[in-house]
Amino acid sequence: MKAEFINPFVGAAFNVIKTIGETEVVKGELGLTSSPIKGDEVNVVIGVTGDLTGQVIFCLSEKTALALASKMLMELSTDSLDELAKSAVGELGNMIIGNAVTALGDKGFFCNLTPPALFIGKDVLVSTKCPQFLIIPLQTKLGALQINVALEDTML
Amino acid sequence: MKAVKVDKLIPGMVLAQDVLISRTGVTLIPVNTLLTVEMIRRIASFNIDEVYISEPRKSNKEKDEEILAPVMAQTHHHAVAAVEDIVTNYGEHLFEEQAISGLVGDLLDQVEMDSSLLLNLTHLKSYDNYLFSHSVNVSILAILIGEKLGYSKEELNLLGVAALLHDIGMLKIPITTWDKNGTLTPLEYRKVRNHPLYGEDFLSSKNMSKEVRAVASQHHERFDGTGYPKGLQGSNINFKARIVAIADVYDACISERPYRERITPQETLKLIVSDQKLYDPQLLKIFISTMAIYPIGSLVRLNTGEIGKVIRVTNNQPFRPVLCIYFDREENLLEQPLRIDLSEDQNHLLFIKETLSALQHRKALQQIGEII
Repeated sequence: MKAEFINPFVGAAFNVIKTIGETEVVKGELGLTSSPIKGDEVNVVIGVTGDLTGQVIFCLSEKTALALASKMLMELSTDSLDELAKSAVGELGNMIIGNAVTALGDKGFFCNLTPPALFIGKDVLVSTKCPQFLIIPLQTKLGALQINVALEDTML
Repeated sequence: MKAVKVDKLIPGMVLAQDVLISRTGVTLIPVNTLLTVEMIRRIASFNIDEVYISEPRKSNKEKDEEILAPVMAQTHHHAVAAVEDIVTNYGEHLFEEQAISGLVGDLLDQVEMDSSLLLNLTHLKSYDNYLFSHSVNVSILAILIGEKLGYSKEELNLLGVAALLHDIGMLKIPITTWDKNGTLTPLEYRKVRNHPLYGEDFLSSKNMSKEVRAVASQHHERFDGTGYPKGLQGSNINFKARIVAIADVYDACISERPYRERITPQETLKLIVSDQKLYDPQLLKIFISTMAIYPIGSLVRLNTGEIGKVIRVTNNQPFRPVLCIYFDREENLLEQPLRIDLSEDQNHLLFIKETLSALQHRKALQQIGEII
């Protein structure tokens, strides 16, 4: 997987997390892992189709998910992963990937997204067609968030 | 069919002709395709100048809406007039519980038929009959919450009647007071604070049920105990009064009043959430999922720049409503508004980036022709 596919995701995550009012986002060291990947308590899976295909998976703890959901929900106190909180976390993932995929278009890769799917439960294993995932760890004041990107160039 | 410059294409438009790559003559995207953001950008990357777009075709749903909307508008109008009729005879013998219950029955039917269409109507009002349209709107909003709670038809009717009559005590207060553009005198203030009690007295004198009376007397009580007239707290407040409290505040805020400008539906929601301790937290959550994050009537800007109005909320997708796009990326008014459903699978590259400010909101509504 090319590095040029990765930067748009980092940039998008920074942008979107900032627009929901979280000013401090720190990127950790990028890593590489092979499929399947082990999830966290809350996992958002979004498919990418078009010139690039694959999956992007957000993994985060329930606590972080609830804190981010509350930001998305106008600071509504959110203490359980109910339907409202789940849709907020899904939409956050959708916004980040939407931004990233738009930026990939500037590089000449035109893609669309599939709606986010949420998987809740700590021992989730996700395997995909793409053998390797690039891991982007992010740290915010609300908690840690890991973005796993596995994309293949279909035009090759 | 009309030619549209590529930089003016909007997701949701439908191709009237194949889009060809001029150099090779190969079809890039075939006729009748519903354009997505991905396709529009792909077309632009081939330096194509313009493409042919069909006139928007109407889905059966839209055709149904066109038939249903005027009927609903009439019922809403009729309901407001009926409330006016009922309450202007206040103090006289005319006060028929059956008539009110029948009226709420009509509203119930409409909520069941198409609640989004009905909610669109709650924005169209002027303040010369504020109390009456407010009563009808609060009744509609309360019924929507009751529906989510799984209320039976009888319970919904009771809730709707109670909500319709929640402010009846305001009639004991001169109209010059509640439409006053300025600070109330201490006496006026005291009277306004007493309207829940006036309402309860009146409803008792008409032998209305206990719940209807409780909603009138307790709809200004607040969950944290800071409300009036009694300062009741939490579960000591009648449950239906807690429902009506939220519906009442929401409609009061989105309405234009002589003493302040109208605020947008989303600002209203934010305002309520910023004071969330005032309301029953479970009911507030239900209300937010019912109204959605961008309530009907909100003007929003997409990540691609277009501006549209929320015309329909999608079940279980509070961030992804159905929009009617009125302005292109450069904020030019479209000749023909374009409907787009953000909850549909192919539209997930789109998302709502922001809501317009009250000022922009007002200006946009003027351009659309919804307000003068």
